[in-house]
Amino acid sequence: MLMDTILFYLFAALVLGGGILTITRRNAVHSAIFLILSLLGVAGLYLLQSAEFLFAVQIVLYVGGIMVLFLFVIMLVNLDQAAKEKQFNRQWTVALACAGLVGAEIFYFLAKGAGAFQLAKGTAEANTGMGNTERLADALFSQYLLPFEIASLLLLVAVVGSVVMAKKRI
Amino acid sequence: MYASLVPTSAEMIRFLPELILTVVATLFMVLDPLLGRQSRHVYGHFSILALLGAMAAAVYVYRDPGAAFSGMLMVDGFATFFRVVVIGVGILTVLPSYRYLDREDAETGEYHALLLFSIVGQCVMVTANELIMIFIGLEISSIASYVLAGYLRDDRRANEAALKYFLLGSFATAFFLYGVALIYGMTGSTNLATVRRAILGGSLGSAPIFIGVAAALMFVGLGFKVSGAPFQIWAPDVYQGAPTPVAAFLSAGPKAAAFAIFLRIFLTAFQPIGPGWEPLVWVSALASMTLGNFAALTQSNIKRLLAYSSIAHAGYVLVALAARSNVGTAAAMFYMAAYAFMNIGAFAVVSHLSGKGERYLKVEDFAGLGAKQPGTAALLSIFLLSLIGVPLTGGFFGKFYIFKAALDSHLVWLTVLGLLNSAVAAYYYLRILVMMYMREPGEAASRIQPLTPGLRAALVLPALGTLVLGIFPGWVLDFAGRSSVFVR
Amino acid sequence: MQLWLIPAFPLAGFLINGLLGRRASKGFINAVAIGSVLLSFAWVLKTIMGLGDVSSRYVEHYFTWIQSGALQVNFDFAVDRLTVVMLLVVTGVGALIHIYSVGYMGHEGGYYRFFAYLNLFMFFMLTLVLAANYLVLFVGWEGVGLCSYLLIGFYFLRQSATNAGNKAFIVNRIGDFGFSLAIFLVFLNFGTLDFGGVFANVPGKPETLLNTIGLLLLVGACGKSAQIPLYVWLPDAMEGPTPVSALIHAATMVTAGVYMVARSNVIYIHAPVAQEAVALIGLATAFFSATIGLLQNDIKKIFAYSTVSQLGYMFVGAGVGAFSAGIYHLVTHAFFKALLFLGSGSVIHALSGEQDVRRMGGLAKKIPWTFWTMLCAAVAIAGVPPFSGFYSKDMILAAAYQRAPWIYWVGAITAGLTAFYVFRAIFLAFFGAYRGHEHPHESPPVMILPLAALAFLSLAGGFLFDVPQFLERLFPPIEESHDVTLVAVSVAIGLAGIGLAALFYVVKPSLPDSLAASFSGVYKLIYNKYFVDEIYDAAVVKPVVNGSRSLLWKGVDVGLIDAGVNGLGWSARGIGGILRLLQSGSIRSYATWVVFGSVVLMVAMAMAGGVR
Repeated sequence: MLMDTILFYLFAALVLGGGILTITRRNAVHSAIFLILSLLGVAGLYLLQSAEFLFAVQIVLYVGGIMVLFLFVIMLVNLDQAAKEKQFNRQWTVALACAGLVGAEIFYFLAKGAGAFQLAKGTAEANTGMGNTERLADALFSQYLLPFEIASLLLLVAVVGSVVMAKKRI
Repeated sequence: MYASLVPTSAEMIRFLPELILTVVATLFMVLDPLLGRQSRHVYGHFSILALLGAMAAAVYVYRDPGAAFSGMLMVDGFATFFRVVVIGVGILTVLPSYRYLDREDAETGEYHALLLFSIVGQCVMVTANELIMIFIGLEISSIASYVLAGYLRDDRRANEAALKYFLLGSFATAFFLYGVALIYGMTGSTNLATVRRAILGGSLGSAPIFIGVAAALMFVGLGFKVSGAPFQIWAPDVYQGAPTPVAAFLSAGPKAAAFAIFLRIFLTAFQPIGPGWEPLVWVSALASMTLGNFAALTQSNIKRLLAYSSIAHAGYVLVALAARSNVGTAAAMFYMAAYAFMNIGAFAVVSHLSGKGERYLKVEDFAGLGAKQPGTAALLSIFLLSLIGVPLTGGFFGKFYIFKAALDSHLVWLTVLGLLNSAVAAYYYLRILVMMYMREPGEAASRIQPLTPGLRAALVLPALGTLVLGIFPGWVLDFAGRSSVFVR
Repeated sequence: MQLWLIPAFPLAGFLINGLLGRRASKGFINAVAIGSVLLSFAWVLKTIMGLGDVSSRYVEHYFTWIQSGALQVNFDFAVDRLTVVMLLVVTGVGALIHIYSVGYMGHEGGYYRFFAYLNLFMFFMLTLVLAANYLVLFVGWEGVGLCSYLLIGFYFLRQSATNAGNKAFIVNRIGDFGFSLAIFLVFLNFGTLDFGGVFANVPGKPETLLNTIGLLLLVGACGKSAQIPLYVWLPDAMEGPTPVSALIHAATMVTAGVYMVARSNVIYIHAPVAQEAVALIGLATAFFSATIGLLQNDIKKIFAYSTVSQLGYMFVGAGVGAFSAGIYHLVTHAFFKALLFLGSGSVIHALSGEQDVRRMGGLAKKIPWTFWTMLCAAVAIAGVPPFSGFYSKDMILAAAYQRAPWIYWVGAITAGLTAFYVFRAIFLAFFGAYRGHEHPHESPPVMILPLAALAFLSLAGGFLFDVPQFLERLFPPIEESHDVTLVAVSVAIGLAGIGLAALFYVVKPSLPDSLAASFSGVYKLIYNKYFVDEIYDAAVVKPVVNGSRSLLWKGVDVGLIDAGVNGLGWSARGIGGILRLLQSGSIRSYATWVVFGSVVLMVAMAMAGGVR
């Protein structure tokens, strides 16, 4: 149990620290690398929740795929200009107020105690002996078959859309 | 165990409209490289055929209503109504697009394919009975809309509009998705009825705070999609920059679908915590009406004016939502149908008048339209009068039902303020009428082209619809009234 | 009975002239426009014959307009005695004015358009009058407003005409706001909008509710019938062609408010506060606008303020419970005021457009027909016995005396003012020496004939049609008073007004100027119509316009599309350009506001989420 707690705070620190560094770095490449760090922290949190599949997806898709693409794009585009411009816009006060409000809200819930975080009964998974991955696959190919299939349409539209938008530019 | 999960043929048939549209849209992608540029109108013809087919299918499958795909979809009266509305919006968008695409020399294949995909997304949204389905439908519809908004790649305004719409839209759907995640975490389900049972069941503890937070997050996402205040900020820029037929489409189709899921989610799953969210909808409705109407007073660009007007109209529909009753739902359904007709019609005239490159978009450019093209001006007058809410038009009855529903639910102040708002609103529509009939023809009216058959249909059909809804509202209202019950 | 045919004829006329009129000859347009109104007049007569003495309400059901849950509204027409009176006035006077317009509008552009609008107006006005429930009445109500707007702005090349049309439309929206609220309230509390159903259930409803409904209906009536504080549009509405002023802004449409109040008499009888308000607003309007009428120089404006004032009289009648007297005055007013407007139209026609009474004079010999007919109208409105205005006005004043003597006195003084300003106009225009430059010419017979017909009605209408007796059973009885002194006093005040006008403008023309000089403060105040337009402008119009411009437009509508196009933003293409746009701030600031809004929402909902 103690080990879990220590690991949780470790990963949480990774997520938060990475996030803060991502938005404060001027160099876009550095920002991207810190984002990877943050995403890795999230993956660690998934693992702690024994969601192995999500852990794997997080690493493969986000860290491995999406972030590498990010880095490619950043390196392809000349960002000297962007680096010189102001990093924070005028609305930072509003943003700060928002963050403060959310923080206050969370503290309020914590102060109210566990009642605020109560889940519906029956939400806790029955121990069916299946692992996380099997259960996910089971849901995807039975109950959630239609959304799973329709998602391919979503991807198709996204591909078509990006081709349309980019056709003459590149 | 899995036998019950294999879709039956009845379930497949309930999905027929979406299937038709998807097949045709995908076919367009294949045909595009095969057909030459000279056959650019073929896509439009096929789109209309596909949409008519889908509409017929939507009506046909209502003969055997019910759930499909393990409760993912729910083909009921409400879904059928909105399916017909969004498909109808599609037809009315395709009709003026022929001319528009010719004039702007844009490619037609992908345009129509994206339009059909967007409508598929909206159909999925309005039939979905389940948050994941709703989210995927919303995304399909939105992504296609983002691209359509920026379809004229060489137009900077369109580019900027598309980018704004895309970034802010994704931002807003993220809020929605976050809400879905919270709901799933709290109740272990994404099915609306199950969520409702979980909330009602009382096993969430005495203070289901996170249900409230989830409702708020979904409110943000949906509020953005329907352009209700305070999330309306994107609408004027996007409507102004997008190609006019697309702006017409955005103001009617995605909006109707978004309102449909707004109603379904909040009156099914979140109905038990109604007293909690009602004040928010109240404030949002009032803010949308007031902000939309008063900001529209000072606009000189007609598309921007119509964008603000569409924000105000979203406010009226939010009043119906705030009523939290079956009558309110029916009123919102009727209003969306009437609004689709009158607004698309008005945009079609704008598209017709604006000329190549959309040069003539000032309110002043309507000067003398009444003298140069009396037919077009008369039809636009019908749309504007309906937007004002003059009797014998659909807009009048729409407002009538909404405020009646609000009063039934004792929202007296909202009704009073809403009626005041609609009194203010008359002014900016009137400016256009004045320009058309009481000014000498200007450059725009003098250079106006004759109407093409497509445009003529795009103007006459909505005008007929507006009048029919105004003179015989019973036909639509009966159906809406019967289909407005989510929880039996 | 086929009541629907009554409005259907003018509608057909509108469609025919509107669609084909552009290429049709004037003869064709005239035949369609006038023929359709005459046909509907004939059908009204036939209907009345068929219904006998119309002792009870006759309803014709066409179709169920809305049926949803408890809500059922039918598209029904109904005829009772009140409707009969209104139908006869609208179609009869309407037909005369249509005929007159042939001569008056003969040289104007947009001839077919004018008659098409006029027929459309007739359609909506007849729908309004025939309506069997509040919603159908509202259809006519909005429709006549729309036609009024179109016809005021008929001479659209004049900016003032367009502005006047807009003003009429906007002010009427405020009235409609009250009216529609009243309709909703009626529906919620009575479960129906049908007149019969509503009025049968009025007794027993709480008085506060009835007062609220009555006051809201009054707001609507104030808009349409140009009562304080919503009267400002009617004087400006004189920008429209003169036949329009006669038909819509004197004889028919503006009396719709009075009709509606009389129609709802059951509500008002059970709502003492609302009824009191009707009387007070009517009285204030009658007096106030009569004083403005004293110093106007535009002949049509004089009669416009007179119309406002006379409408106030009708409201006083309804407000003191003498509904039939109010309707009686509506009828006689339709005769003599239509005549005054048509006559002044004939004067304007004779002088090729001159409307200023200071540049007229001595016209009595040059255009005798016009003079004599207008004189008939003038004696009628001044309340000289035994002409029509005397009967109706006297009846209202007598009823007012029963309610409260001071209302009678204010009304009587107003009658004196009325006599004064009407005869001031007559004397300035027709007596003395001619002060203009045009060569006056008498109008063609097609204009004179309607004048003569109306002159006859103005003189004899009072004893020919005993409207109060006809309407006896519809309204609560008026307390009879045979106080001859009251009659004598009001007649004397009226005659004194005429005498004073004669003294001022015929006998000693220098008197008005010296009086104006010695009371310059009051003179300026009245001459400038109490600065009401200016006050409204400063207190309502400017704040709204400036507020929405500065606050909403600059504060909320911060769109940067234009800036982007002007090259301030991003000109480079490709991804770099997109990033630049991101950097330019607008999207970030939009997003920040979305976040802010959602956080506020979230906090609010989390707090409210526990409420069950």
